[in-house]
Amino acid sequence: MSAEATKADDGHTKPRADKPTIIRCQDLGRTFWRGKERLDVLEELDLEIPEGSFEALMGPSGSGKTTLLNIIAGLDRPTRGRIEVAGKSLGDLSEAALAKWRSQTIGFVFQHFNLIPVLTAVENVELPLLLTKVPASERKKRAQTALRVVGLEDRMDHRPQQLSGGQEQRVGIARAIVHDPKIIVADEPTGELDRQSADDVLTLLERLNREFDKTILMVTHDPAAAERASVLRKLDKGRLS
Amino acid sequence: MTLVGLSVKNIRRNRLRAVLTVLGVAIALLAFVFIRTTLDAWSTGAEHAAQDRLGTMHKVSFTMDLPRTYFEELDGTRGTVPGVKAATYQNWFGGKHPVREQEFFATIAVHSDTFFDVYSDMAVPPDQLAAWKEDRQGAIVGEALAKQFGWSVGDDVTLLGTIYPGDWKFTIRGIYSATRRAVDRTQFVFHWTYLNESIKDTMPEQTERVGWISTVIEPGARGADVAQAIDAKFEEHDVQTRTMSERALSMEFMGSFGAILTALDVVSGVILVIMMLILGNTIAMSVRERTNEHGVLLALGFRPKHIALFVMGEGLAIGLLGGLAGLCLSYPFINGMGRWIEDNMGAWFPYFQIPIDVAITALLLAMLLAGLAAVIPAYRASRLDVIDALRRIG
Ligand SMILES: Nc1ncnc2c1ncn2[C@@H]1O[C@H](COP(=O)(O)OP(=O)(O)OP(=O)(O)O)[C@@H](O)[C@H]1O
Ligand SMILES: [Mg+2]
Repeated sequence: MSAEATKADDGHTKPRADKPTIIRCQDLGRTFWRGKERLDVLEELDLEIPEGSFEALMGPSGSGKTTLLNIIAGLDRPTRGRIEVAGKSLGDLSEAALAKWRSQTIGFVFQHFNLIPVLTAVENVELPLLLTKVPASERKKRAQTALRVVGLEDRMDHRPQQLSGGQEQRVGIARAIVHDPKIIVADEPTGELDRQSADDVLTLLERLNREFDKTILMVTHDPAAAERASVLRKLDKGRLS
Repeated sequence: MTLVGLSVKNIRRNRLRAVLTVLGVAIALLAFVFIRTTLDAWSTGAEHAAQDRLGTMHKVSFTMDLPRTYFEELDGTRGTVPGVKAATYQNWFGGKHPVREQEFFATIAVHSDTFFDVYSDMAVPPDQLAAWKEDRQGAIVGEALAKQFGWSVGDDVTLLGTIYPGDWKFTIRGIYSATRRAVDRTQFVFHWTYLNESIKDTMPEQTERVGWISTVIEPGARGADVAQAIDAKFEEHDVQTRTMSERALSMEFMGSFGAILTALDVVSGVILVIMMLILGNTIAMSVRERTNEHGVLLALGFRPKHIALFVMGEGLAIGLLGGLAGLCLSYPFINGMGRWIEDNMGAWFPYFQIPIDVAITALLLAMLLAGLAAVIPAYRASRLDVIDALRRIG
């Protein structure tokens, strides 16, 4: 994480032509079947996102935002088309390889925070590191560092129940960055939060984007949240506009 | 935190359920250990019965009696039945405590001159034995029986006759202790002559009869041979006999409970199977509740095998905890009760303690079955579709 390099930037994070593409979708399609009924959720979708960009994805409910995000994050596979993320063609990866790739490349932020209730904040943040070779003591240190980044150094040993929604989401964000992924995907990260907590979370995401150069893809229904992103994309009936 | 830690921490999720589940396993295990201990005590009990003491009874049935002259023939012919060292006879009296009628104990009318020679494993202090021989209405009781009814030497005791009706008055003259574990320490023995003389008028046909004759064999003699020789001796008489060692008798008696023992055996298995099914259901339920969490773990890059191992680990942990808790309950409970059983039912259960292999088997079975109970939930959890799982709001 090189904070210095991007701080010297001109203060905004608009995508720049010289930045390489980190996410590339070509002619992407995703079809679901409900029994015999065919549902083309994504159709002929092309998308290029440069590294270090903070993008918001909006669209009516059911337009396929979550589906697209899942495909980009390597959770779901497209029915048609090509997808390349962080230099990997995801279609070529086996399930195991995809899981490993995910654990190294993607940080997830969920609408409902999805923390494990029996674990403390620091243990929740440590989770992604359990899959790595990082030794136990180092894991804990890194988790503590991540919690410090999100401003929760005084809540390390609290359980999710003992935290406010805003704090829970910040733990969620700490978990998403602890393994230093290139890309953070956030599906309605402020959907459950009040205005103030939502603003804090968005400020945090901005910081991660600007200071730590994370590429962020955020689905949101909230225009104020979308405002904070550097690029706004709209998805309607399976197509980007 | 480690992967194992994560798996085990899941048990804390719902403390009440975890405690109840562990308790359920523990109690199932207690029942299992209890039955197993009983079966073990039962089957080994016979091994502790005397091998050098023979019992001679009516060939047709244990409940039919023999003429007393048989004893004299046996006793008077030492040497003619080779291997017999000493003989005595006794009658089952069937007396009851007049108030505490439910509390069973053996009451036996014995030949006082010879009884304690043959039953040398019932030790009576010499002065008490002498005093007893002098008193026609004297009785000698086992130490456990004395304790049970609070009797001591010199007490007058009245028993209710069942086979021989009426109130029977005795004075306790002695208390015997056991020198071997397999000796019944709750017997009440008194003079056969007292019984015989008392029934002369009321039940003349019952006089001069004995229930059975006991003999001790010479060291080195073979019980089976001596028994055969005794039976051969009465072969030509009106009443034939059947003679066997106490151990053989004990085994035969236990053998007659074969069906019950087999049933208990099956029940102990059934208890564990029921435990496993309930455990499987509980684990399945708690796994279902965590579908969304498992989705998150899968998203973070955990593999289906990790999820399956978490569930298995949880099952094994419950099995281990329940197993240990079960043993913690079993030891004081069963061994405590066992001590009482040894004291009061020593003739059948000279040893009633949890055998170590039963304890180990129980613990391993608890873990094995808990592991098996977790297999299906673990398999199902490992088949989870990450997208579906994440769609479920946690
Ligand atoms: N696994 C699935 N099987 C069948 N249909 C699905 C599946 N996943 C999504 N869909 C359908 O695809 C469409 C798009 O779903 P998606 O969740 O991507 O929408 P969304 O834009 O995220 O909506 P929202 O704003 O409500 O979250 C919906 O009609 C949904 O019912
Ligand atoms: Mg959605």
